[in-house]
Amino acid sequence: MTKKVTSLSDFNELSQQQQYSLLHSDGVYVGKRKEGGQTVILFQLYAFYVEVRYRLYRQEIDFLTLSDQMDILEPYIDQIQVRDLNTGATGEE
Amino acid sequence: MTKALPSKSLVLYADDDNDDIELVRELFADFEAVVKLVTFPNGKALLEYITLLPPLLPQPSLVILDINMPVQDGLHTLKALRQLDDMQHVPVVLFTTSNMPHEESVAKSLGAGFITKPVYADQLHQIVDQMLHYCHDDFKKKIERHRGR
Repeated sequence: MTKKVTSLSDFNELSQQQQYSLLHSDGVYVGKRKEGGQTVILFQLYAFYVEVRYRLYRQEIDFLTLSDQMDILEPYIDQIQVRDLNTGATGEE
Repeated sequence: MTKALPSKSLVLYADDDNDDIELVRELFADFEAVVKLVTFPNGKALLEYITLLPPLLPQPSLVILDINMPVQDGLHTLKALRQLDDMQHVPVVLFTTSNMPHEESVAKSLGAGFITKPVYADQLHQIVDQMLHYCHDDFKKKIERHRGR
């Protein structure tokens, strides 16, 4: 049985394939931005955040950045909706 | 002897994200001989297009809706669509970035499918089949014939 992921360190122990699957099934979209010609999407996953940097949009992932710090939200603040602040949830694109 | 060309099936897609529009265009490019994909920046524009369709033309074979769009979001568009004449049974899929149980249950109650946008290539390659799952058999068969299955 697959170990239940509850923290950033649990997520780090998963294989790349398992990480992508978990992001797809349980990740909550926060926002999207462009940087250096690449598209970057931020997801909230449980109590931490995963930023996905694409080499090819929604196809080839360059790398993931993991963080449990709120400052990772900063580039996406304008996309986080007022309703989300009220409910504590992040946005759906 | 003349041979009539098969008419293209109509697929409508509303999304305010140009990257996702482009992605779905690429997915349906394989079927451009049999499918006409028309895209819209929001649900209101899609509904206006539907109401202007000539009454004798076949209904859309599939309607794809992003959820969070400006002007009119996907859930409101779905509700409005179901109230239009002859649109109660048109296949609709909500194509969203997050798997939100509440939105999924609303989609289900209105007879629509719910598909989470892919994170990477393996998931992307399954999207057309996932969408076809919600379509009528004649459209499924048309796509499968085109694929040469």
